[in-house]
Amino acid sequence: MTDVRAPEADPFESAAEQDDRETAGRDRPGRGFSLADWLKWGWRQLTSMRIALVLLFLLALGSVPGSMLPQEGTNPAGVQQYYASHPALAPLLNHLGLFNVFAAPWFAAIYLLLFTSLVGCVVPRTFRLVGSARTLPPRAPRHLARLPRSAEYGTALAPVQAVEVAATVLAGHGFRLRRPADAGEAWLSAEKGYLREVGNLLFHLALLGVLVSVALGGLFGYKADRLLVQGTTFADTQSALDEFYPGRFVSATDLGPFTITLNQFDASYISSGVQRGQPASFDAQISYTAHPGGPALRDNLEVNRPLSVDGAKVYLIGHGYAPVFKVTDARGQVVYDQPTPFISGSSGNFLSQGVVKVPDAQPEQLGFTGVFVPTAVEVDGVLESVFPAADHPVVSLIAYAGNLGENSGIPQSVYQMDTTGMRQLTADPQVLVPGQSLKLPDGQGTITFTGYVPWVSLAITHDPGQLPALICGLAALGGLLLSFMVRRRRVFVRVRANGPAGGVQSTVQVGGLTRTDASGGFEDEFASLAAELRSAHDQAAANSVLYKRSRYAKNPAVAGGRLSAPIARAGPKGPHSRVGFA
Amino acid sequence: MAATALAGAALAVVLLTGWATGGNSGVTDVAGGTSAVLYQAGHRPLAPDFTATTLTGAPLSFSSYRGQVVVLNFWGSWCAPCRAEAPALAGAAKQYRPAGVDFLGVDVRDTTASAVAFARNFGIGYPSVSDSSSVITLDFTAVVPIAGTPTTLVIDRTGHIAGAVFGPATYQELTDILAQVTGKAAGGSP
Amino acid sequence: MPVNLALGHVSNDFLIAALVIYSLSVVAFAGDFAFGRPRRAGSAARGQQARERAGALAAVGAASVAAAADAPPDSVVGPPGPAGQAGVAAAGSPAAVPDSMPEVAVPPLRAIGQAGHWVQAAMALAAVGVVAHTVAVVTRGLAVHRAPWGNMYEFVTALTCVAAIFFLFVMVRYRAWTLGVFVMGAVVVALGLAETLIYTAAGQLVPALQSYWLDIHVTAMTLATGIFFVAAVLGVVYLTVDRYNRRVAAGRAEPGNGIVRRLPSLEQLDRLTYRTIMFGFPVWTFGVIAGAIWADQAWGRYWGWDPVETWAFITWVLYAAFLHARATAGWRGRRAHYIQLLGFTSLMFNILVVQVFIAGLHSYAGVS
Repeated sequence: MTDVRAPEADPFESAAEQDDRETAGRDRPGRGFSLADWLKWGWRQLTSMRIALVLLFLLALGSVPGSMLPQEGTNPAGVQQYYASHPALAPLLNHLGLFNVFAAPWFAAIYLLLFTSLVGCVVPRTFRLVGSARTLPPRAPRHLARLPRSAEYGTALAPVQAVEVAATVLAGHGFRLRRPADAGEAWLSAEKGYLREVGNLLFHLALLGVLVSVALGGLFGYKADRLLVQGTTFADTQSALDEFYPGRFVSATDLGPFTITLNQFDASYISSGVQRGQPASFDAQISYTAHPGGPALRDNLEVNRPLSVDGAKVYLIGHGYAPVFKVTDARGQVVYDQPTPFISGSSGNFLSQGVVKVPDAQPEQLGFTGVFVPTAVEVDGVLESVFPAADHPVVSLIAYAGNLGENSGIPQSVYQMDTTGMRQLTADPQVLVPGQSLKLPDGQGTITFTGYVPWVSLAITHDPGQLPALICGLAALGGLLLSFMVRRRRVFVRVRANGPAGGVQSTVQVGGLTRTDASGGFEDEFASLAAELRSAHDQAAANSVLYKRSRYAKNPAVAGGRLSAPIARAGPKGPHSRVGFA
Repeated sequence: MAATALAGAALAVVLLTGWATGGNSGVTDVAGGTSAVLYQAGHRPLAPDFTATTLTGAPLSFSSYRGQVVVLNFWGSWCAPCRAEAPALAGAAKQYRPAGVDFLGVDVRDTTASAVAFARNFGIGYPSVSDSSSVITLDFTAVVPIAGTPTTLVIDRTGHIAGAVFGPATYQELTDILAQVTGKAAGGSP
Repeated sequence: MPVNLALGHVSNDFLIAALVIYSLSVVAFAGDFAFGRPRRAGSAARGQQARERAGALAAVGAASVAAAADAPPDSVVGPPGPAGQAGVAAAGSPAAVPDSMPEVAVPPLRAIGQAGHWVQAAMALAAVGVVAHTVAVVTRGLAVHRAPWGNMYEFVTALTCVAAIFFLFVMVRYRAWTLGVFVMGAVVVALGLAETLIYTAAGQLVPALQSYWLDIHVTAMTLATGIFFVAAVLGVVYLTVDRYNRRVAAGRAEPGNGIVRRLPSLEQLDRLTYRTIMFGFPVWTFGVIAGAIWADQAWGRYWGWDPVETWAFITWVLYAAFLHARATAGWRGRRAHYIQLLGFTSLMFNILVVQVFIAGLHSYAGVS
């Protein structure tokens, strides 16, 4: 039969190009088109590769301010500072959602659109893959020489025999075959590499799975923080946590009923050399019970070594110093006697700040702002900390008396003091070493710096989406590798009968091609396939000669070893017999 | 068509996740809003028992309060809203003493010196137990949603929690709940 | 375990040696440009002529010509393939049975022997340099008793080592000698900057980094960055050649530029870059996943939009955009390479700027 299509359509037009072609082909709906047409056009645009590219760029671009500007979730203090230093710009940025980029609606819109585009592209392709996996490869083209890879050689086999040999070889390599319906035709189509599209789809669907896992964590998970002073215990209940961020479907009763006691915290630092002052190790020895009344277990919390309890994980996030103060008021009563956590923030060497609020001192409320210096050295009249360990600790205090502002009932931070209603009692900061007391003027009382203990900050998290996210991430990686390593390719064989010319009865043409978005590397495979086919054909021809020699040994024309006459088409069993090769 | 349906379902999933991941804000703000709650008879959770030490160092067992109406107030000297409600509690305690209502404080995440100073300052006549580790709070959170400090629970004579104020309590709220639970108005005789 | 300072010094000495030897190899590659045998011009022309012949002979059905027209990239150097001659022969004698089999790839190392003295010298120097570089990295690791990529200096030296090894492999496999001057030159510049600007003496790691995840996550990132480094240099070469071609087509430049003629064709460069990125992208993806697992162990959440995490994500998205662009009509070629270079820029920005200057959980560069 003749091939009337000319030029041939590329049998391996990539699906992406098909999509683009279809999209580009349909013009924007003009007048006379219904809403349905517009929606259809819009959907096709959304799921095109071009729009996917644009959305990817937007996603990358949209993430940039999230890394440059301080974000509410991770650095609220930084946001405050930004407001202070950019008073005009900050409200505008806030209005645009730039202080909480990754929770902003516009960022969500970008990734949701991207995933919609993904879904709209992946789902039809899945159906297409299933369909193409069920249909046979196309017929072999007429002119295999026009294919990107081709080879041609002669063989002593008859065309149909040669096709059979080729079929065996290709089937041995795992190709799916298509033979001509008409027994007289001599061609073969072979296709392989469906796993590539499987990998591609798996990758994209796995990304969707990651998104769903993140959402799962957001809905059913929670995060909490708690600062724990050495020697104290806390129970995991909402009112005992410093911060609690529950997911939408999480309530306080979902917290695990464990209690943790910080028995001992040790931090060691490098004391000499270039890295002096750098932390060497942190170690928090805790004991915990998984539920009230349960057995007390011991554990060592370290960075990179969280505790798993009651379905949650407890992490050692940071640490600091809590100097211990004892305050006696004007009436001689001890009104305050506890460790007070001071916060170092980003100051080097744990120079820490804090406040001591004594609202029940009589007759006037007392307050102190303090700086704790672990290893104090005076430089130009200013106390600096030169080493993070508490080798030479001092505390510097400024005393106040008056109204702390707490009686109004509005909650205050325990780390900050509002001095607007107070008057300063001491003109200069007073420096105390451990054990030293400061007598306040006018018999207001005394504050003693009795010592210090360390504190740790713990993060308690629960994320049910964590494991699914990991599985989906690894599945995405697997799909990616599959789609990169496997090539979808087709190999065609056409055998043409020649006139007899020195023992060559047919000409075998082999052609091969891969999908247009493949990267290459098929050349080697094709070359070795062609070589293998050729040697299989030679082998088969030799076997059938041997067979014929043994069968027709009495034939003088054959006995001489040289075949001068055309060989009879096949053995006694008919054209398709497999006589002649194993 | 199956493909469209599947795509639509996947799209719905995607949109749902958008809704889910947003809105994960919120430190629960106790002081901002108070809610007073009454539990109807038959729907009252059982208050867990506990033994603890009072601020003066004496041991106390909660079961010893069975048979009385108890107002259990979770507070701390560091807690500003607790300071705001303290006069109301002190006053209500005096008012309802003749009616046989006991007040008991649970001093959460606090130290003795500051707590004693607080009680002295506000004239709190009733005892408080020390719950520096919040274990008692943990037990009670299992039956009522205690989200922060202060929280006030009213426990009936059978040891069941009949009413709660989540946040600083006003005198009015306290007396309303107590009137319901005891069946008596403030200051009334039995 | 205390740091072995003596071994640290040895490592530094080997690194300086590698730097010097690489520089010499760059000079040798440049010498090949200037004084080496003009091979490329012939095969470029042959490629063009072969295509024309293919069209003419298609009617005759000479299969051989098709094979020659789409020569594999490894025919940058070497004698004209037998296919071309067979095609001519076939046209001459139609009665003979045409016989053309595609070439199975010639063992690549054999090609060095035909590449000329300059290339041989350059390759020898580059190989020695790579050995010295690897010794430097390994001794650094031995000095500090851990994987030697715990701060930025170590990271840059390790990634340039990966880039150099990977590129040597690419050069030998695809016989792309003419790209040597560009990639090795970039390696020299990067190493020089590492030595002068961000050098950090061998030392201990902060506790947060004392985890076996360092070996997994940062190793993967180092490998991926080294591979993307090569792809970026190839991208720059592609864009340069592409610009030159367009200027020639517009009549604004003289054709026959000696350097451009020696470089692989645009299509070959494009394919090489694509395959390089295809190699690096899964490694980067794995590195991000490993980083997320480690972040969960250390910080309590597997993804928190920390600045370094965010920029690693941006880099990933940009390289994904590159892969998409190659499959989108109108975005192949020049635009795709712009995207790829943008991705590499974001990668470098992540390493050099974000880790150092933007406060976050990832500030372990060790640069003061």
